[in-house]
Amino acid sequence: MDDFERQERIRAANRRRVAQRNRAGRLRGRVIAASLICFALLWGVVFVQMATGNDPVLSEKPAAAGRRTKPGRAAARPAQGQAAEGEVEAEPESGLEIEPQAEVAPEPEPEFEPEPEPIPEAEAEAVPEPEAELEPLTTSQS
Amino acid sequence: MSESRIEFECFGGCVEVRAGGGAGAPAALERARARLLDAHRRLSRFDPGSELSRLNRDQRCEVPASPLLRQLAVAIAEAGERSGGLVDGTLLREIERAGYADSLPQGRRPTPPPAVAPSGPAGPRDRADWAALRVDQRAGTVIRPPGVQIDGGGLAKGMLADLLGADLAGFGSFAVDCCGDLRLGGRAGAERRVMVDDPGGGPPVGELRLRAGGVATSGISRRSWRRAGGRPGHQIIDPRSGEPAFTGVLQATAVAPTALLAEVYAKAALLAGPEEAPAWLPFGGVLVLAGGTVETVPASTELPQPVPA
Repeated sequence: MDDFERQERIRAANRRRVAQRNRAGRLRGRVIAASLICFALLWGVVFVQMATGNDPVLSEKPAAAGRRTKPGRAAARPAQGQAAEGEVEAEPESGLEIEPQAEVAPEPEPEFEPEPEPIPEAEAEAVPEPEAELEPLTTSQS
Repeated sequence: MSESRIEFECFGGCVEVRAGGGAGAPAALERARARLLDAHRRLSRFDPGSELSRLNRDQRCEVPASPLLRQLAVAIAEAGERSGGLVDGTLLREIERAGYADSLPQGRRPTPPPAVAPSGPAGPRDRADWAALRVDQRAGTVIRPPGVQIDGGGLAKGMLADLLGADLAGFGSFAVDCCGDLRLGGRAGAERRVMVDDPGGGPPVGELRLRAGGVATSGISRRSWRRAGGRPGHQIIDPRSGEPAFTGVLQATAVAPTALLAEVYAKAALLAGPEEAPAWLPFGGVLVLAGGTVETVPASTELPQPVPA
């Protein structure tokens, strides 16, 4: 191999190295750009969701309270509606600061109300309405 | 609310049974009819072949008896105990001596109340045969001194109204009218009006309202007659004198948790006289006094309400 050929190989090697470095740089830039875009999009979604009052942390609260409620306590809830509501509000397990419900979520309120008692509903379907007029009877000397 | 109903003649009068608010009401009413007619065959004192008549003729101290007859014996003993002997179901001889030996024709119109001066309140008999009445449920026998005769009368009607009421308790509403002794109720807890019959045959003299319980009326005008010598007679006997009672109360209607208890209260109120009668109506009632005065007695005790199923 003569000098010219050796110089040529060195230049070719340098060109490949530069090209490889450029490609790596382009890839790194694309990855960074994609990450930034994804990050911005995610934050955008979260921002919009929070701004419109659909905080996912708040929306999951009733389900969590329901899971922790034992059957016996559930039966006693109609008489303790206030206490049950307070119980749910005092659960910042996610670590997020929950804004007052009246400002953030106007509609979750019914979800925290005591569960309707199923037995009276079943009775109401099974038996006639108590308000219905029954035909009178007459008592006489037996 | 629609109710199925059935009417038939039984116990010397008209019986009506109603039920609604549930499936199978017509079949339940037919069963009620069969049960009442069977009870009538067993407990009629006008039928010499009835179980009651055979018991009254039996000279043994301990006589085998069907569960229904044993239940009647228990009811008579309890009535005597609750009323302090005023309501005595062992006065069959006295009733027959007063002229009520045969069944009165059905459908007769109420006779005017007998115009007899009140002779004061009735009282218990010195020898209380009802207290000697015993039942051996294990042996299936009725135990009483030989010669003691029992008469179902209104007590049997109240007792049977209660038995049928228990059979019909699963319906939304039910009512049993055993010739004027009522048992009513139902799971729906609906209120029902009960009109109080006029002893003279006129329009109702009162109205009661209740969701569940018993109502009974006892009086001296419907089953009354003229005895020998023109004296008026009727079926309500003063245990102390053994004669028809004229206490100044012509008719007493009582409300109670059961029809049997209502029958005991009504009869006791009638026998106790106008002064003491209200005390025998703790769940309320209506009194018709001699001269036609109608007195409504308010309840001093709350009637137990049915527990929702």
